[in-house]
Amino acid sequence: MKKTLCIFLAFCMALSLTACGGVTQHETAGFKPALDTSTSCRITVAGSYDNFEALEAEFDRFNEIYPNVEFSYVKLDDYNNTLGTVLEGNNPPNIFFSYTWMIGNEKYNPVVAHMENLSDSSLGLDLSCIRPGLINRDAEGHVLLVPVFSRTYGMLVNNDLFKKEGLSIPSTLTELLSVCEAFRNKGYRSPMMGYSLKSSGCFMNTVAYPLFVAALAENPEALTLANDLDPAAGEYMRPALEAVELLIQNGCIDFSECDKIEDNYTQVILRFFEGDVPMMICTGDTVSGTKKRESQSEAFVHAPFDYVFSPIPMSDDGGYFIDSPSIQFSVNNKCEDLDMTNEFMRFLISTEELNEMASVKRLVTPTADLSFDSVYAPFGQVPSDRTLSPEVLGIKDQLTVQLRIAAFRVGKGEITLDEAAAMYGSFE
Amino acid sequence: MKKSWVVVVNVFIIIIMLTFVVLYSNNENRDKTQKQIEHFENTAIAMEHVTENYMEGEQRICDVWAHYINSQDMTIEEAASFIRISHVLPNASAHILYLDTLSGLSTKARQDAADNFAVSYARMELLNDVSWIHEIGVSINISRAYTNPINGEQSLAFCNLITLHDPETGTARDAVLLRVLPISELEQKWVFPQEEFENAELSLIDADGNYIIKGHSFKNSSFFEFYKSYNTIDPASVQAFFREITSSSGSFVMNNSHGEECILAYAPVAATDGWTLLCYLPKKDLSVNSENWLLIGFVSAGLLILFVFDLTVMLSYNKKLKAAASEAASANRAKTDFLSTMSHDIRTPMNAIIGLTTIAEKNLGDMEAVGENLRKITLASNHLLTLINDILDISKVESGKLSLSPQTFSIVETVENLINLSRPMIKEKNIEFNFRVSRMEKEYLYADRLRLNQIYINILSNALKYTEPGGRVSVDMREEESQKPGCVRLTYIVSDSGIGMSPEYMATMYEAFSRQTDSRVNSIQGTGLGLAITKQMVDLMEGTIDCQSEQGKGTTFSIILDLPVADRQREDMMLDPMEVLIVDNDAILLETAVDTLESLGVTADSATGGLEALGMIKRKHETGQDYSVVILDWKMPDIDGIETIRRIRAETDSDIPVLLISAYDWSDIEDVAKEAGANGFVSKPLFRSTLYDKINELLGREAKSVEPEDDYSDLQGLNILIAEDNDINWEIISAMLGMFGITTERAENGRICVEKINRAAEGSYALIFMDIQMPEMNGLDATRRIRALDDPWAASIPIIAMTADAFSENVNECLNAGMNGHIAKPIDIKLVIKEIRRIKEGKRS
Repeated sequence: MKKTLCIFLAFCMALSLTACGGVTQHETAGFKPALDTSTSCRITVAGSYDNFEALEAEFDRFNEIYPNVEFSYVKLDDYNNTLGTVLEGNNPPNIFFSYTWMIGNEKYNPVVAHMENLSDSSLGLDLSCIRPGLINRDAEGHVLLVPVFSRTYGMLVNNDLFKKEGLSIPSTLTELLSVCEAFRNKGYRSPMMGYSLKSSGCFMNTVAYPLFVAALAENPEALTLANDLDPAAGEYMRPALEAVELLIQNGCIDFSECDKIEDNYTQVILRFFEGDVPMMICTGDTVSGTKKRESQSEAFVHAPFDYVFSPIPMSDDGGYFIDSPSIQFSVNNKCEDLDMTNEFMRFLISTEELNEMASVKRLVTPTADLSFDSVYAPFGQVPSDRTLSPEVLGIKDQLTVQLRIAAFRVGKGEITLDEAAAMYGSFE
Repeated sequence: MKKSWVVVVNVFIIIIMLTFVVLYSNNENRDKTQKQIEHFENTAIAMEHVTENYMEGEQRICDVWAHYINSQDMTIEEAASFIRISHVLPNASAHILYLDTLSGLSTKARQDAADNFAVSYARMELLNDVSWIHEIGVSINISRAYTNPINGEQSLAFCNLITLHDPETGTARDAVLLRVLPISELEQKWVFPQEEFENAELSLIDADGNYIIKGHSFKNSSFFEFYKSYNTIDPASVQAFFREITSSSGSFVMNNSHGEECILAYAPVAATDGWTLLCYLPKKDLSVNSENWLLIGFVSAGLLILFVFDLTVMLSYNKKLKAAASEAASANRAKTDFLSTMSHDIRTPMNAIIGLTTIAEKNLGDMEAVGENLRKITLASNHLLTLINDILDISKVESGKLSLSPQTFSIVETVENLINLSRPMIKEKNIEFNFRVSRMEKEYLYADRLRLNQIYINILSNALKYTEPGGRVSVDMREEESQKPGCVRLTYIVSDSGIGMSPEYMATMYEAFSRQTDSRVNSIQGTGLGLAITKQMVDLMEGTIDCQSEQGKGTTFSIILDLPVADRQREDMMLDPMEVLIVDNDAILLETAVDTLESLGVTADSATGGLEALGMIKRKHETGQDYSVVILDWKMPDIDGIETIRRIRAETDSDIPVLLISAYDWSDIEDVAKEAGANGFVSKPLFRSTLYDKINELLGREAKSVEPEDDYSDLQGLNILIAEDNDINWEIISAMLGMFGITTERAENGRICVEKINRAAEGSYALIFMDIQMPEMNGLDATRRIRALDDPWAASIPIIAMTADAFSENVNECLNAGMNGHIAKPIDIKLVIKEIRRIKEGKRS
């Protein structure tokens, strides 16, 4: 009797207590706020992405600590050209996308002038959580941009299709050619596919770039020539361009199929999700769209399959992991609420938050831990001697343009290898 | 109903009520929420109207410019100049772009070059397709939010297609005019108007869901992407859902990026190409849950308190009911026990009365046997009467109606009466009885004599009853100073050598009907009420009663009472100087008696035995100065009082007055004592007044007032009217009074009594004995009628109540009705005679 009464009273008390319940603010583990958590301000991040859910998720996580900080992400039209104007405008952003090639480019000196030195110890950013090859320091050792994602080159592999056809995922060039032949024999017109309509984002560059970087890495004098757009560097493109030709000539890639893909992002992904493409050549930026589009692809929804993003094995030693920053953030040193902006950067630049953001965006994380996303796991297994960082090597952006156009045109059959090598430095 | 069921039912009712409150509250909340949502939707529609009006206004400005430019065949520079002149908004600007190059002039210079008005949209996708720009005045041609290439601000542009004059070619050239407005400025003005929706946000999306203007809580670059990112929707219905949003007004609930529910009201912006106004509000802002929880919490707490309170009260009542039931059961048992006891105790003397009556009837010829039977019947009757009186007393005690009626009385008479009442049993059981008084200076006290008498008699009669034949009972009474002003402290101690009491019985001995369980006790008649009544009476008189007892050895009761001294006391009692010898083997009595005698002004010698006294008398006689008086106890160990008198008379040849003391009825020894030479008798205890009176009487100094105890001649010829409806009672009283030479007449009821008195000649009746409960007219009414008669003699005739209504309130009732006295039935003829004499002598009580 007394027990029943006690239980009833406890129930009623618990019921009553729920009426008094409130939302409990909690701190994100590991991060200790350095400013007054009730601070009210507005922080704007400007970038070139149409949308940036991963970053908006970080805004929400930061708001759990600083609930009165209002964030907004703004996409700038014609980003590279308007950024300088925006930074000098009436509503300059606090944080903006930045690129390594901006450093040293006279046109972007006004932009660089806005970049805060993020290696300043007083800011407390934990740059050690980022892979060293992704950090770019200027002559004074300042870090003006920090990568929040990294980019690499490879191919999406339909694991289930390989299993279905009884084939192993290739790890060498020989195996790749063999697998392609086997798929072709099984009726797959284009065992490897990729975007091929325009040079920007085309699969030819994705195949060729790692090989060209590897060649330049082995020949520092060639790197200088290449960066200087010296036609003499054209010969160093030859192995990379030959690899493109090799895949095309061996029937690994059927252009007629590839040309049906209208853009190098959504359409590439949706085509891969059709489930009949064993290998889809693309960059990590494209892979970032796979997660969201799984649900948008009726084919994938009806017949989901396991897939990974893997280096393209363009040599008998395997493929290369080109570890290059994708998106980098710079802090506008002339913005309002700079303290809170740096506080947000301190929050963001951590293994936990960068991995969290990479997970949402499905981009390669810039941190040392690549294992948290199974799609990118194959890159974690690439040996260090085959991991190349263009930023560390000193590869400049104009070099990549030359290779991209050369590879595109060679792949399309518009020019020969010899012509391409001779034209180095003149591609626009 | 079991207690657990009461709790279950209560809990069930509480749950039902809480459920009702929750459901009702939720229903109310739903209604309230729905109304708020409708209100929110209406506000969204109103905002849409405001937005539309604003856009139409801005578009109209653009239209006017375009019309004018087209009508004037302007070059791009002329058009820009015109707009600069007509522009009024400081933050607004206009861009004029050739459609083929998407470059042209801005009305405002670039920030980094004050003279550079060139602007290009070639790298933007905004104007790659201008099919959405309709003819002038047809619709609102507004762009999406984009980055103003001149100042980098996120902006909107109202557009019109225009035709410019190309001075280089001399031909017309298609161009687009953009009236550019910064969004930041727009956002400051374009806020949700309702104060109650302070967290509401606005967004504007185009037909593809892309944000034109983006509220803070809206995520992604497209609302549709935002919705799909945080909400589950069937892919098949997603397009239809988005079509509905962009084509009609309404609202729906969706999750925001925090997973919290929010209300989204939508309204298509008319005159645009599929634009929709979205109004966002966190659902918690609509929620009235806090109030509901307050209500539920309050009701819960209230019901809980009520439940606990009821439970407590119920348990308390149950406890009291249980106690009451227990008391009732106990009372019922007590009643049963009482009836059983009464049945037994009443039947016992009744059995004796009936049985002995039967025996007497059978032996009418044997006068001695009849006499013996009648004596035993009298004893049994008296016992029965005592029992009835005790029952009535305990009834009054327990009902709290026992009250005291103080009056002036003589403690000496009380003690004498006490001894007289006890004497038969003392004699019968041959009990050695001593009654000693000490320093009893105040003879007259003011108290309830009857109750005091009852206390003393109860204690003494118990001692006598429970003392074995040949045992010893002694009574000590002494007067002391009292703390109470005007009072004396009277201590009454009765000790016996009786059977004693067990400690267990002593713990409950003052409870009614409690008698010790003992084979010896069972053979003794008793009601078990005496001690209970005594204790109550002592308490009522604010006294104390104490008892020391040991089984087999005896009992001592001590009663201490503080009694007021009466105003009336006897005059100073002082004897002439003389020498008195008092003889008793009781040393204490001797001491107190000597003390008392000396207080009377005489010289007192004492002797503890007859031989010693004889020696002292001889020696005194030889000196020629005899004692004036010798007071001798009858029973003494060496030679008794009578023998001592005999020797005094024989050996001293003296006529010294000798008083013989006896604690017993001296009538048995009167003749022998007188023959031996005793001059008088005095009963123990030896009060001061007793000794004073007896010595004076013995020495012939004061005539003894002789009570005509056996002389009833003064009653001869009296005629008394008796109002009595009961034939037997009439017969008894008539016969009894007849024995004293009194004649009687009967009135069968009150009415007849009144009639007889009314008709009677003056002096016809000496008084009236009036029964109370009679048919036709009761005694009280009859008395009132008689007192109201015109005839003074009739109206003042003495009326004595003679009734079985024996309570004090009955007595008061009688006196209040005009009666002159009260005699309780069964009647004691001595009391009746005493009352008649009192009336006859004209005394009034």
